Amino acid sequence: MLGVAAAAVLALPLAAPVYHVLLMLPFMAYAVILLGLNLLFGYTGLVSFGHALFMGIGAYTGAVLTTHFGVRSLELILLTAAALGALVAAPVGALCVRYVKIYFSMLTLAFGMLFYTFLLKFYRLTGGDEGIRVLRPSLLGFDLEALAKIDYLAGPYYYYSLGVLALAALVMWRIVHSAFGLCLRSIRDNPAKAEALGISIARYRWYAFVISAVYAAAGGALLGPPTGNVDPTLAYWTHSGNIVFMTLLGGFASFFGPVLGAFVFIFLQDTVMSVVPYWRLVFGALLAFLVIFAPGGLMGLFAGRRPGEVSRV
Amino acid sequence: METSRREFLKGVGVAAAGSAVGFPAVVSAQARKGVPSGPVKIGVMPIRAGVAAPVGAAGQRGVEWWAERVNKAGGILGRKVELVFEEESNPKDTLERFRKLALQAKVDVIVGGISTAVGLALGPAAEELKMLWLSWDGTTQKGVEETMPNPTYAFRSVDNEVEAIGGALLTAKYFKGVKTIAGINNDYSYGHDCWETYQAVLKRYTPGVKSVLELFPKLGVTDFTSHIAAIQQAKPDLLMTSFWSGDTTILMKQAAAVGLFKTMKACFTTGGGVHDSLKKEFTPEGLILGYNSMYFNHAGASPLLKQFVREYKAKYGEYPPYECDHGYFTVESYKAGVEKAYKAAGEWPSKEQVAKALEGIEVESLSGKRSWRADHVQMCNFFQGITTHKNAFDFVTIDPVEVLPTAKIMKPTTSTKLLDWINATFPLKG
Repeated sequence: MLGVAAAAVLALPLAAPVYHVLLMLPFMAYAVILLGLNLLFGYTGLVSFGHALFMGIGAYTGAVLTTHFGVRSLELILLTAAALGALVAAPVGALCVRYVKIYFSMLTLAFGMLFYTFLLKFYRLTGGDEGIRVLRPSLLGFDLEALAKIDYLAGPYYYYSLGVLALAALVMWRIVHSAFGLCLRSIRDNPAKAEALGISIARYRWYAFVISAVYAAAGGALLGPPTGNVDPTLAYWTHSGNIVFMTLLGGFASFFGPVLGAFVFIFLQDTVMSVVPYWRLVFGALLAFLVIFAPGGLMGLFAGRRPGEVSRV
Repeated sequence: METSRREFLKGVGVAAAGSAVGFPAVVSAQARKGVPSGPVKIGVMPIRAGVAAPVGAAGQRGVEWWAERVNKAGGILGRKVELVFEEESNPKDTLERFRKLALQAKVDVIVGGISTAVGLALGPAAEELKMLWLSWDGTTQKGVEETMPNPTYAFRSVDNEVEAIGGALLTAKYFKGVKTIAGINNDYSYGHDCWETYQAVLKRYTPGVKSVLELFPKLGVTDFTSHIAAIQQAKPDLLMTSFWSGDTTILMKQAAAVGLFKTMKACFTTGGGVHDSLKKEFTPEGLILGYNSMYFNHAGASPLLKQFVREYKAKYGEYPPYECDHGYFTVESYKAGVEKAYKAAGEWPSKEQVAKALEGIEVESLSGKRSWRADHVQMCNFFQGITTHKNAFDFVTIDPVEVLPTAKIMKPTTSTKLLDWINATFPLKG
């Protein structure tokens, strides 16, 4: 199944209409973000409503580096975004992981909104509501300026994003299937028992938080170039809500569930927005349906999991 | 191109129907050389959620009214007009919708765009996709300078600051004794730019005028009691605001509750955007109120505007705000551009030919004559005046009405620095 999906994604630019190829760009960026978010959500049991903070950091890193510092290398942008994401996540995470459940969620939301307010208020520095432009980054040392933007996005940028996603998925796979990943799951399932076994709960949660922030920042950096402009809505809490929605849609109990969620969310939104002016109502109803009848998301439905089983995961 | 019997009869039918409803008889598409038979697809991007949703709806209604009339009259060069809607929201999603219209729906032109942040993303995208884009609204100075310095396909709205410039001119004219001012503007680029511009122009007329308070509540805030208390405390001679959405009405109501405008003058540069919610019971006479580029009750209104106002009221139960005119103008100018380019080319023109034809074109819009400057900037008149209760409505209107042309109150080129131009231009002579 995974092989078929990978082959389809590889062949897509050759066969699909260019618009659908371009829609895959936010999908791949969100897929990277969600792999990280799910380390926190699905594997550690912490629901963050503030990850737009890190997506914003990643997106603005690309904008500032390309516009103000003349740095065009996407590798450098991704590395800087990841480093800045980790740098901010370290103190924020240290404070947040002291809490769980709704308190953790609310605290992450608060930090996310702090950053959003910073972006909005520091008008001269951040461009305020108008944001900052993102100039076309070079890929692996090739500047590719001669290509038309659409060709650049639907060709080299597409495969570059796919490469980043594949690498991110591989690393995350290793993380969640390592002893460290096992520790996170044991913390999620029974923190008291995990602590009794000698696992430092706060430290492991903090590790998970920082790793997920690195993923969110890297994914955020990938979101910027296709739009060509970043703005504070990327760091707004509804953006955090969207990625939680994608995770629920695909299923947080599965490694690839959130990735599937991102794919379905983006293509469903694309269709519903064109057909129904009140598409938000449709998505609200879908979210309610998921939570009540299919908490395991699409992957849960495929696997035939009953809601009770999933909610215990 | 041969015309089949069925196509001929269809053409005759359209012409007969056109005559019956009072429009000039039209020639069917097939009779025009080099004109494709399918419909002209126009992408429309209104905002549909949040505080700007009513503005988006007004722009959409202006376009729909235009399309209905044009189709009744036989379309553009005989081609029916088909509207394809996609929503304007945040820059990222709007850009995706824009690409969908261009690449998937394959529209001939896209109109819409109200937020400057969105415009900053759409401008370069229009050029990349070689897609004609006629913006409705929303171009702050950053948009003016950055969106599209030398565009081929993108046409942008009026500089946003002209409303503040107009408001300052009226302040200098009608409220001569003003020495201290306070500003309450939304906390985003439009609000900040308008406040700075208003002060800069006013200082050219009253050099000693002093700002005693500046407030920047978030867009969408609905409680201004603490702001009003601060304004009362600061005791300015005049309060200036560029509020344009429902917050105008809320501010007016809450200000009326404490009699704020009994002790100071006020200048609402853009409040006419929600004009029929400014009821007489809480909106005093004697305030400056701006209606942007269309004043529904203008004494010199054209038959077109009168008909639009009448039909809009009958259909929606309210009086049209200015965004209708932005919507109408963009599509009407597109039609005129196609017809002009067709005359030169002898066939349905390419997007490049239409873009060229649009440069400098002038058309009859709802508000009167409107045009595109050669560098792709909208030109029009702005309507501002002093609020009055002397009318047949339950809300305020303005009298006298000052008509402020963008040729006078907007900087002449995109590269000109706004403050330099203000200092060199004002006070206006004559």
